[in-house]
Amino acid sequence: MSSAPTLSPAPDPGSSTLFQNYDPAPFFDELVAPDGQPRPCAKPMYEKLAEMPLEVYEERRKLADLSYLVQGITFTVYSDGRGTERLFPFDLVPRIIARSEWETIERGLAQRVTALNLYLQDIYGPQRILQDKVIPRQLVYSCKHFRREMAGLHVPKDIYVHISGIDLVRDSKSGEYLVLEDNVRSPSGISYVIENRLVMRRTFPRAFETSEVLPVDHYPAELVKILRSLSPRTGERPVIVLLTPGLYNSAYFEHCFLAQEMGIELVEGRDLVVSDNVVYMKTIRGLNRVDVIYRRVDDDFLDPLAFRTDSLVGVPGLMNAYRAGNVALANAVGTGVADDKAIYAFVPKFIKYYLGEDPILHNVETFLCSKPNELSYVLEHLPELVVKAVGESGGYGMLMGPMSDKKTIEEFREKLIADPRNYIAQPIVPLSRCPSFDPSKGGMSPRHVDLRPYCLYDGEKTTIVPGGLTRVALQPGSMVVNSSQGGGSKDTWVLRGDE
Amino acid sequence: MMPILNRYRLGHVTQFDYDGPVSESYNELRLRPRHDEGQSCLSFRISTDPASRPAAHLDFYGNWVHQFHILPEHRHLRVESEAVVLVHPPIHPPPSLMTLSELDAQSESLGDEYFDWLSPSAYCPLVPEIASLAAEIEKDCGGKVYDFVHTAENLINTRFKYQPGATHVNSSIIDCLTSLAGVCQDFSHLLLAVLRSRGIPGRYVSGYLVPRQSEDAQGAVERVIGGQASHAWVEALIPGAGWMGLDPTVGWFVDHQHIRIAYGRDYGDVPPVRGVYKGHAGQSLSVDVLVRPALDDDGSELLKETAAFPPPKPPVDGPPPPPQQQQQQQQQ
Repeated sequence: MSSAPTLSPAPDPGSSTLFQNYDPAPFFDELVAPDGQPRPCAKPMYEKLAEMPLEVYEERRKLADLSYLVQGITFTVYSDGRGTERLFPFDLVPRIIARSEWETIERGLAQRVTALNLYLQDIYGPQRILQDKVIPRQLVYSCKHFRREMAGLHVPKDIYVHISGIDLVRDSKSGEYLVLEDNVRSPSGISYVIENRLVMRRTFPRAFETSEVLPVDHYPAELVKILRSLSPRTGERPVIVLLTPGLYNSAYFEHCFLAQEMGIELVEGRDLVVSDNVVYMKTIRGLNRVDVIYRRVDDDFLDPLAFRTDSLVGVPGLMNAYRAGNVALANAVGTGVADDKAIYAFVPKFIKYYLGEDPILHNVETFLCSKPNELSYVLEHLPELVVKAVGESGGYGMLMGPMSDKKTIEEFREKLIADPRNYIAQPIVPLSRCPSFDPSKGGMSPRHVDLRPYCLYDGEKTTIVPGGLTRVALQPGSMVVNSSQGGGSKDTWVLRGDE
Repeated sequence: MMPILNRYRLGHVTQFDYDGPVSESYNELRLRPRHDEGQSCLSFRISTDPASRPAAHLDFYGNWVHQFHILPEHRHLRVESEAVVLVHPPIHPPPSLMTLSELDAQSESLGDEYFDWLSPSAYCPLVPEIASLAAEIEKDCGGKVYDFVHTAENLINTRFKYQPGATHVNSSIIDCLTSLAGVCQDFSHLLLAVLRSRGIPGRYVSGYLVPRQSEDAQGAVERVIGGQASHAWVEALIPGAGWMGLDPTVGWFVDHQHIRIAYGRDYGDVPPVRGVYKGHAGQSLSVDVLVRPALDDDGSELLKETAAFPPPKPPVDGPPPPPQQQQQQQQQ
């Protein structure tokens, strides 16, 4: 797998191109301007693809797929009941972002991550924001991810969210990037970002010669640097582990990938033991003290003594070791009180409250069903709205009004009335699109995309690998990009310049 | 003048016997009495067998939590705690004159400030039976919050039968509503559900009840509750007047004979012992609680007297030393 494919493109200007009959209207297109010409940032890649005969493109697509298959880059879909692993469909056409645009996104994300951390520090500390009534206590306390166990617990360097994945969408109407969701518990997907780039480099080696694309492969090194800095034992070489729920988890591939890239141990709960509030790893040479845990196990399952007693994947006593300051966890416990979808509506206020700044990236308009007047609006307009369960992620527990039949809408109506706090609703954002290969057409068709950049926060600055994961709804017309719901991904390029 | 008997020595023994070997046992204890405006915890000691090194912290509600673990294989686990507590004479505020409609006018600000004490919880879900109980109480109470609270306490005390075994430790109020019988835990959950459904903040209190003298009219209740197990009751917030203790099991005012260990939204927040262990063995549990009046802040004289205290097991059948005798000693 180390050598790049040796096929070279054979331009044939006489035949039809992959971009024939490509019409970006009526949505914002990431690569193609409304006049049908490529945007400046996309021009070199566009021309390369436009020159490429279908057979050559198909050949490369097969090579790329094979590369994912042999590396076992898969994910698991829970809802189909089969627990089967699937390939995450990959579309070869990259999403390309101009440098100046990226810099705005980057500043907006850094601002948001900083504010979310200050909010968590406050909520589990003095609760100034509740006393000042910027957000109702009810909304925070009723959040199922609010962990009363975290109150007053001092976390290393006061950082709660070290790793976040903030979902962005570009609104076709304004052309502006909006924040759709914050993911500050255990966001996954970064391994696809790195692997997608690797595959792209093999598939289109020459494209990287003409476009200066900022690298993404330093993410594991940046992450391990932050993890190391959290170690409670200064002066010692910290022992860092990645705690996975195990191989049936949908992101198990990523857990293996990151542990390997960072050079840290991949462990399951049963590999760890807590004694006198110190965490140890069981090794063939005896117990080895653990300083930092990058945990990919949800709060609920992390410690059966503190949380769900039926959890078999956790480490009993871990919370006590954490409270005693003998081990650092990334992310902290209880961060879900920041990415609850009802709390999301208040994040612009957090930015104002904690930083005294206006948000650089705006939210999507959000209706809180917990507010009676907003609930009645939502109930009247269900067929036009997206409804989301506040504590869920991955596209589970969601209603897309315009794409749903009457029966589904009525089922949601009942759920909303029965448990309004559990739902929010948003207008459908007309997501921007990006050219993607359409097998039925044998050429490019526009498909809706979102963007999840991955942010690392070390307490002072936010490091964001340029780009992130572009997810694409491969079904014509679909705006649901979640991998569990049939979405695919693209490589995301941030250019060194604007062209 | 008789001195107020307000110092108590508490002993609490929990023993688990397993059918086979277990290991990696991790446990959390809420056994240390609260130290707050209502009472002072003068001393507290905890020990386990097999031996361990318990460490303590405060939980979200300011309750003491001791946690310990035992890694090697064992077949029994015994947890013993001892405390001396000084209960401050309660100050009974004059009955609040606040009406239920005045309370309703404050519901938004109360809801914000006392969210945890007003929301339904796992053991106290808001079921239709509770709403109809609350409506019945409201009809009889004359519109005052204070009277509503007392009427609710009385109604539960008289309508539901105290019957150990009618429910189990994980029962929610639904079991008790069906069988019309339960224990202090169920009655407290019922009262909480009724109060919260009417917008009155309420919290679940776990603690100990000092047995009254046998000539007391409550003798029958005492035999069941007094001395042998930990107890549970409720505190309700009457805006403007403060927190007020209510014991729906015995129907008494909560006074200096109630010793508070911990409070929370319901039993789930404050179990005396909670833990996990590895092993396939089943377990049996025995609990023994002793509450005795103490002579002084150290409880030292009684300590000597009961050097083997608490007894290994089984629970002592006889009544604790009659309070009369202790009062005499105090007078000496």
